Amino acid sequence: MLRKADSSFGFAIGAALLFFFIGGTLTTIVPPLVDKTWSKPFENNDPSKGPTGKLKPYTEIELKGRAVYVREGCWYCHTQQTRTLLADTKRSGWKGVDSPISTPDEFVYDTPHMFGTKRTGPDLSRVGGKYDSQWHRTHFRNPRDLVPGSIMPPFPWIAENPEELRALTAYIQTLGRSKNWRPDNDYEK
Amino acid sequence: MPEEINKSVDTRSSAASGPALVHDDTTAKWFLISSIAYFFIVGIIAVTIAAKFVWPSLLGTVQYLTYGRLRPLHVNGMLFGWLLAADMGLSFFMVPRLCAVKLWSEKLGVATAILWNAIILGAVVSLLMGWNQGLEYAELPMPLDIAVVVAWIMFGVNIFMTIASRKYDQMYVSIWYIMGTILWTAFVYLTGNFAVLFATGTNQANLNWMYVHNAVGLIFTPVGLAIAYYFIPKASNTPLYSHKLSMIGFWSLAFVYVWTGAHHMLHGPISQWLQTISIAFSVMLLIPVWAVVYNFFATMKGQWHQLKDNVPLKFLMSGVVFYLLTCFQGPMHSLRTVNAIVSKTDWIPGHAHMAVLGAFSFFAIAGCYHMIPRAFKTTIFSEALANWSFWFLMFGGLGFFVTLWLGGFWQGWQWNNPSIPFIDTVIALKPVWIVRFFSGILMFLGIVSFGYNIMATILGAKDRPAAA
Repeated sequence: MLRKADSSFGFAIGAALLFFFIGGTLTTIVPPLVDKTWSKPFENNDPSKGPTGKLKPYTEIELKGRAVYVREGCWYCHTQQTRTLLADTKRSGWKGVDSPISTPDEFVYDTPHMFGTKRTGPDLSRVGGKYDSQWHRTHFRNPRDLVPGSIMPPFPWIAENPEELRALTAYIQTLGRSKNWRPDNDYEK
Repeated sequence: MPEEINKSVDTRSSAASGPALVHDDTTAKWFLISSIAYFFIVGIIAVTIAAKFVWPSLLGTVQYLTYGRLRPLHVNGMLFGWLLAADMGLSFFMVPRLCAVKLWSEKLGVATAILWNAIILGAVVSLLMGWNQGLEYAELPMPLDIAVVVAWIMFGVNIFMTIASRKYDQMYVSIWYIMGTILWTAFVYLTGNFAVLFATGTNQANLNWMYVHNAVGLIFTPVGLAIAYYFIPKASNTPLYSHKLSMIGFWSLAFVYVWTGAHHMLHGPISQWLQTISIAFSVMLLIPVWAVVYNFFATMKGQWHQLKDNVPLKFLMSGVVFYLLTCFQGPMHSLRTVNAIVSKTDWIPGHAHMAVLGAFSFFAIAGCYHMIPRAFKTTIFSEALANWSFWFLMFGGLGFFVTLWLGGFWQGWQWNNPSIPFIDTVIALKPVWIVRFFSGILMFLGIVSFGYNIMATILGAKDRPAAA
């Protein structure tokens, strides 16, 4: 049948698009219609169903900080997903408590999404509240002052800009905090 | 394979169409010269970011030159400034010859090239300024996205009108691949740069990966294979082994590739069933790949001795081997067990570079070496330098790919042992990044010798007229 595409211009175009659209439609348009967790913000009040908590929309200052995170390309080296791997839940964990895995409903307000493809630095999906603002400030000025061996670039233009620093830190402190899972909620500010 | 197609590939097409048809190639020349210039310029950026892995404070206090801004410039510059522009230039060269007609409009073609250059320059400014949309491969701000769409329509109209006025009824396989590229790119690009903006979170990520994966699978792969299908028979002066096999390769690619985007989120916050579909189709990619690669190897049967002193053929056939390897890696690391080790590690850039540099850039370089002397009616400036450019890129490439695969596996195993602190897994990779930097220097020397050879060929064209 596809022999016809050899010499017929219109047939070749039609078949090439048809083949493409079957897979294209089934893998991009259909999944969010089938799986509602992609669009419904996380909320759970029942401890028997896993960690409780509620996903809140970003505030104005957090959005500003997120814009800085996007602008500087932090997402090229830091993923934001605790995957269904034991090691991920331990690395995202805190003080001996394993972190819950990331679920789609935790990211409903994220645009652009920051899941990432490359983990040159540690995953940040549960970093919110682990380090205080002073730590972040010193770290942005020169990461190697706090973490010898780190290859993160220094960001003095953020560390020296109080407004951007406050916004970026505010954003980072939100990461992964819609689910309450840590012992005694020991979050730093 | 019908006689006229054979002729159009085996011999100069002018021989097949009665009175000699003189191609202007103005558009092809514009695209290729600018793309090679970007190959060189972006090569400097590539070496710089490789150096930043070894010396992380390098240029660190200049916000416009920080890693997070140079990396998208490297990716977009290589993908769109060098490779896609070179592929478009080679399409403007191949399509009129395969159709035995002149290009539909050289004026429109030159306008496309000018617009394309404006887009690339705009991309340099916006990415260094940090105007980044935050989506991989779709970093460019909206006005530039719209300009890309306009340029793509101009390119598509020109190529389709040329094909519609062709002298031969039957279309050679390169023509299908170029048509496929133009059509699929339109939808893939619109999904990745416009549709994503109407989605958030996982839904947006799914659209983003559909674009990212198909930018390679349905943009660079089909146009790269169009180039290989055209230049392998040309450079070796041997007819293609099987027309039927090339059809199997094309139609299975058209069907299978688009399903695989979600394999970028394996183990991640995306539906399990979608992950499984993407794995199944990723494995099926072996079908189009092996159909294509078998065809190329069978074409070369009895002709391998030509590799000894035929530089374009060296690039083409090692490109085919890298294509086979990278497309074997892809399905393998889509398997959940392998993915748990290599995903997000340095294996990933090793794999990506083998596809985009090792396979598709090698095809494009071979096309340039074959085409530039013909378009300028001269001979190559230096065969020896061309040979050097091959070996620089080959050894630089191998050093890069092999250390990153091994390093990536090693890194993944360390990550999977949570008793190793993360920072220790970073420090452990230092030797890998040092080798990567020096491999990058070798690759850059390859780019310089390639670019210089092409420049000298063009500038000295009048002194070295082509042998009849």
